[in-house]
Amino acid sequence: MQALLSFENAPPFAAPLRFFLTGPLFAALAGVLLLVEGPALFVSRWLPATLAATHLLTVGFMLQIMLGALIQVLPVVAGANLARPLRVASVLHVGLTAGTLLLVAGFLWSQPLSLAVGGGLLGLSVTYFLVVTARALLGVPSTSPTIRGLKLSMAGLLAVVVLGVAMVLALGQGWALPLAALTDLHAAWGLGGWAGTLLAAMGYVVVPMFQLTPGYPARPSWWFPVVIVAALLSWSVAVAVDLPILARLGQALLAVAGLAFAGLTWHLQGQRRRARADATYRFWQIGLAASLLALLMLLAAAFSPELTELVGWTLVFGILLIAGAFMPFISGMLYKIVPFLAWLHLQNQGQAKIPAPNMNRILADTAMQKQRWLYALALALLLGAVFYPAWLARPAGLLFALANAGLCFNLFGAVRRYRHHAGEIREKLALAP
Amino acid sequence: MSHAKTPHVVDARFLEPPEPFAQTMEMLDTLQAGEQMLLLLYREPHPLYRVLLQNGHAYATELLPDGTFEILITR
Repeated sequence: MQALLSFENAPPFAAPLRFFLTGPLFAALAGVLLLVEGPALFVSRWLPATLAATHLLTVGFMLQIMLGALIQVLPVVAGANLARPLRVASVLHVGLTAGTLLLVAGFLWSQPLSLAVGGGLLGLSVTYFLVVTARALLGVPSTSPTIRGLKLSMAGLLAVVVLGVAMVLALGQGWALPLAALTDLHAAWGLGGWAGTLLAAMGYVVVPMFQLTPGYPARPSWWFPVVIVAALLSWSVAVAVDLPILARLGQALLAVAGLAFAGLTWHLQGQRRRARADATYRFWQIGLAASLLALLMLLAAAFSPELTELVGWTLVFGILLIAGAFMPFISGMLYKIVPFLAWLHLQNQGQAKIPAPNMNRILADTAMQKQRWLYALALALLLGAVFYPAWLARPAGLLFALANAGLCFNLFGAVRRYRHHAGEIREKLALAP
Repeated sequence: MSHAKTPHVVDARFLEPPEPFAQTMEMLDTLQAGEQMLLLLYREPHPLYRVLLQNGHAYATELLPDGTFEILITR
């Protein structure tokens, strides 16, 4: 009875699953791009292939999975029910996937039309998601730091899209915009205001729930998303009025807030009551270590901007934050969410007569751990490739592609076993008196 | 365990889903009409809220400084 009741309002498994299975393919594609392009990708962050690879990871992997996960979890963590989640998922998935491919192709082959159509499609898709979500979320009072964080992360996502679309238009129309400063701001809103705030809002729930740690203290949890957005607003104003000192203040505040969240999460994980270090925990450890390093770099650069002139500084920072922090955080969460959802749907299909199989039988920890090792090795090679591109760029690309293909393979395996068990349950129910 | 607000307490702070939900529903079944129970969690249980409202139970939630959500449920 309890499983049936808790199942109400849950979107169909197919709604989030398509995002979870597509995201790793885009990340694998980024690895293939590195394998093909080789050392050239590490020359500068502004090269077409480097911009293409960055967006394969941030939009193709991160945004894709984050939006898919939100469709699933908004009713659970915020009590906000989306109307017709499967339809929202279908439209959004097509728009995001096509938009990402066109945007990346536009960067890679310097095609302004492809860039404009891809950017436009992504802008429309995200706007559609924001409108649908706003309808559900704005009516919900912010009774927890998670709900406040979710709302502010949506504002962050809006800022990313506005800046991104403005830059695509500027490139196409030849508008005179300060593109370098706007790119930094676009990335800061994307990784801080959207992804960072969303990570914290979700972390408040999933870290204690999945890793059996104490909870996040209430006061810093309320403040963290507010400080992030305030820091980004001051940075944005600084760019608008050309006041570099204010931009550096915003960067420093952003770094300190991020360091506090990562440090607190590290501390909570140290007090976890789950004895075994599972794949999710290990992925989060990688993510926390990388984010602490990246945020220390951001803090140092806020005080000494000349540091960013150092060879490899910006690339190391970007790799640490995207491939070192956010991707492992997301992979770790996928490894909990997908088996749990499969279990929940099987439990519901069993109608309290046939129990669902243990989650470990849907996705074994050994398979996740092997993939996690592969990913860690790929990350190490990526960082090494910044300094030894001729030697390490292509091996890093190959391993990164394999590691993300491995994530996709593991998740597909879980879906295959889910379908197998669902078939068994149907047969047993048909035979039951 | 007991609590100043009620002797009926489910401390689900270090339990994995769906245990908090299951234990709360089990304890609610043992209560008399008008009796109260307390659920302690490190998150707000929105799916549980829906079930409580559907079954006609009132609840009030308080967030403590250590991040614990205290959910006082009246049968």
